[in-house]
Amino acid sequence: MFHYDAIDTAMVADRNAEFRDQVQRRLSGDLTEDQFKPLRLMNGLYLQLHSYMLRVAIPYGALTSAKMRALAHVARRWDKGYGHFTTRQNVQFHWIRLSDTPDVLDYLATAELHAIQTSGNCIRNTTSDPFAGAAAEEVDDPRVWSEVIRQWSTFHPEFTYLPRKFKIAVTASPQDRTAARAHDIGLVLRRNRDGRLGFEVIVGGGMGRTPYIGSTIREHLPAEHLLSYLTAILRVYNRFGRRDNLYKARIKILVASLGAAEFASQVDAEWDAMDRPRLDLPDIELARIRASFGLVPFRTMPPRSERFEAARSDPAFARFARNNVVPHKIPGYGIVQVSLKGIGEVPGDCSADQMEVLADLAERHGHGEIRVTHEQNLVLPHVPLDEVPALHAGLAAAGLATPNINLVSDMIACPGLDYCALANARAIPVAQAISRTFADPARAERIGELKIKISGCINACGHHHVGHIGILGVDKKGEEFYQLTLGGSGAEDAAIGHVLGPALGADKVADAIDKLVEAYLAIRQPDERFLDTYRRTGVGPFKAAVYPDAHQA
Amino acid sequence: MSEALKVLTANDLAGGQVVFLSEAGWSDRYADAVIFDDAAAADAALEAARAATLTLADPYLIDVAAVDGLPVPTSYRERIRALGPTIHPDMGPQADGGVLVHALQQARGAARSSGRLGLIRRK
Amino acid sequence: MLIRLENDHFHTVEDRFTAVDDDAALTGDGAVLLSLTRFEADGAALLAAGRDVGVRIGPADRIEALAPVLPSLALVALEFPKYRDGRAYSSAVLLRERYGFDGEVRAVGDVQIDQAWNMVRCGFDAFETTVGPNAWAAAARRYRHVYQASADNRAPAFVERARVVRDAVATVG
Ligand code: HEM
Ligand code: SF4
Repeated sequence: MFHYDAIDTAMVADRNAEFRDQVQRRLSGDLTEDQFKPLRLMNGLYLQLHSYMLRVAIPYGALTSAKMRALAHVARRWDKGYGHFTTRQNVQFHWIRLSDTPDVLDYLATAELHAIQTSGNCIRNTTSDPFAGAAAEEVDDPRVWSEVIRQWSTFHPEFTYLPRKFKIAVTASPQDRTAARAHDIGLVLRRNRDGRLGFEVIVGGGMGRTPYIGSTIREHLPAEHLLSYLTAILRVYNRFGRRDNLYKARIKILVASLGAAEFASQVDAEWDAMDRPRLDLPDIELARIRASFGLVPFRTMPPRSERFEAARSDPAFARFARNNVVPHKIPGYGIVQVSLKGIGEVPGDCSADQMEVLADLAERHGHGEIRVTHEQNLVLPHVPLDEVPALHAGLAAAGLATPNINLVSDMIACPGLDYCALANARAIPVAQAISRTFADPARAERIGELKIKISGCINACGHHHVGHIGILGVDKKGEEFYQLTLGGSGAEDAAIGHVLGPALGADKVADAIDKLVEAYLAIRQPDERFLDTYRRTGVGPFKAAVYPDAHQA
Repeated sequence: MSEALKVLTANDLAGGQVVFLSEAGWSDRYADAVIFDDAAAADAALEAARAATLTLADPYLIDVAAVDGLPVPTSYRERIRALGPTIHPDMGPQADGGVLVHALQQARGAARSSGRLGLIRRK
Repeated sequence: MLIRLENDHFHTVEDRFTAVDDDAALTGDGAVLLSLTRFEADGAALLAAGRDVGVRIGPADRIEALAPVLPSLALVALEFPKYRDGRAYSSAVLLRERYGFDGEVRAVGDVQIDQAWNMVRCGFDAFETTVGPNAWAAAARRYRHVYQASADNRAPAFVERARVVRDAVATVG
């Protein structure tokens, strides 16, 4: 696990001192709200519907037991006893007081946590693979590169006032667990034929009002040139991205209007003119960062665990093992996914008590590591298979053993109108209703992989554009309505979903999802996921299921 | 058309909680809110709130309709804001319960006026 | 007020440049600050007359357009129409790093104390602001370390760390 050195610690301390001063100046009237707002946003503090919300970064989604306990403490001491894990590997506390924020940040710093650049028009927290260091198929540890980017992007003097927010994702596995193609920059690490590490550089993905899947502008950027190349991309964007219209300010609009080829050639021209050796990270620093992640002291074990297999005689454990445990690169270990989508609960929410249970369980069974996924779940990446039964029992006692990873009730939902000042409609109650509709775990397993994603407005924080089924809240004549989209994906087969038909009233949504699922079950071929069936048949059978009265086109 | 009713709201600067202008200063209870039926008075109060930059953030006026004699914000957004998150009935002012909280929880869609305001104070 | 950064020191100075509007007459013989348009019309003559000339660049103007004449300019003033408009940071970096401009680079417009460190790091050495020089200096030096190379030539963290390693090796050796 990466730890700060004296420089990293000083960086966060200096920032917290700066923000304490800024809060003081706001409260004493030296700063107006207009002047203060961008400053508080750059420290992750939003004014929401009911209160301030503090967004804390979880760099590359990696937590330790100690960090998780610190989050639990913040939830209890300064909030209402819970936190919300988001789709960008952050955690949000919904009830923070502005006047407490400097103390909260100082406390978080003691656990090497911060809220730096978790909002604002700057480079945000880098998303990475929650299975990093555990996945068999990865070519390198993406956390190392994410940490390289974290340092480079933190207080970058040139890129603090970009046209709009900027989000980068790094993955090193063929299976994309970061939604790389839906980020401003997606970096996919690969080895070329000579065995050299390099990045496929994808730019211009994003959600929001005009969703785009990113375009590849470089197939294989030699890994050692990452920082100079990122600087070139950001410089082109900072100079030429639109600033006249908030909705056209993301890099995706610049890339789309120039065309990916022209954008790439502008980046290349900038890159060629740079003093790259000054900007690129020296090997010695890369080695230092790599070393500071340390080695997990894996034990040598047989690949098959008799205890794990024996525990399968308990159907609840067997179901958990099938859905939530995936193979680890080390024989005898498993990657255990912890669902924050209990039936009828708030997707992504976690109470302080649960956080502490997770911290304890990770310490006991998982080398003290916990990861956060972009699907609002948690992961214990390194668990000996022998210990999974005990872990399962511990999770079950805390209400954290829902065996539904990647299944229909494993939904993403943004806070929506229950918290968010920008929302058109609520998202969480819709998720809860759907979850209850599919409460039967046997049926959920029969349905198989199905990704439902819900946003309370077109900003698309809930990723609805890339849901196999997406649900978007809209305000129709003063009432909450929901528009369904089908066929999206945020994974390596990324795609934007298509609108199914007219928006539905709040009480009709869960039923419509049920009909879509039944339509799928009726026509699916062996081994087809919902998404595959949709791609094969097109929208016809699904439209007929939800809008039986609509005229044939 | 019935008269246009308004309530003045903001967030408390230091704490962030939702507040409403009441007879006795700012209150975090919607039930305490002054109901304006005079547009000029409402605008004047808004101006004063805008000047109070040391204690308030983002003041604005919301529309209210008289529903069964009770003042209910016409938009569901403002009703949720006055109540607290609907998924946590124990959080926010809604936790107090009472007839007005109940009225807000019962209102659907764009609440429309169904008559005159009852015994509520107004300006 | 105009603050200058000279030899690591922030202090207030008298502005020796007179800003000349595009349609105003050119008088006197002192230093002048012109828009890019005005400079294109009259710059050559003024320079030939031996006057110090500065050019004021809007955020959308391409700094590349100035490249050929940069060696003859005494000042480039970069505008911040709103402080959230960050284009001038890139312009300043390019002036310093790409074109090796060593004249004055001045921040004008919406120049707030919270941007002091960004500006200094990107190569600005003059600041038109209402903030006093001491407060400005403190804000500019807020961060004891920096993570990345920029136009101010401060050693980034990775250089500081390598130095520590080198020194340790030297002691051991
Ligand atoms: C509750 C306070 C929040 C506010 C005010 C907020 C605001 C916004 C806004 C304005 C956008 C659109 C940006 C643009 O298109 O340029 C956006 C996008 C986004 N937000 Fe949020 N958000 C909030 C919470 C969340 C949460 C809880 C999540 C995760 C569950 C999230 C994840 C995202 C993502 C993934 C995007 C799409 C980014 C993209 O376009 O690539 N946000 N948010
Ligand atoms: S999608 Fe809209 S409603 Fe949901 S969190 Fe984002 S801004 Fe708020």
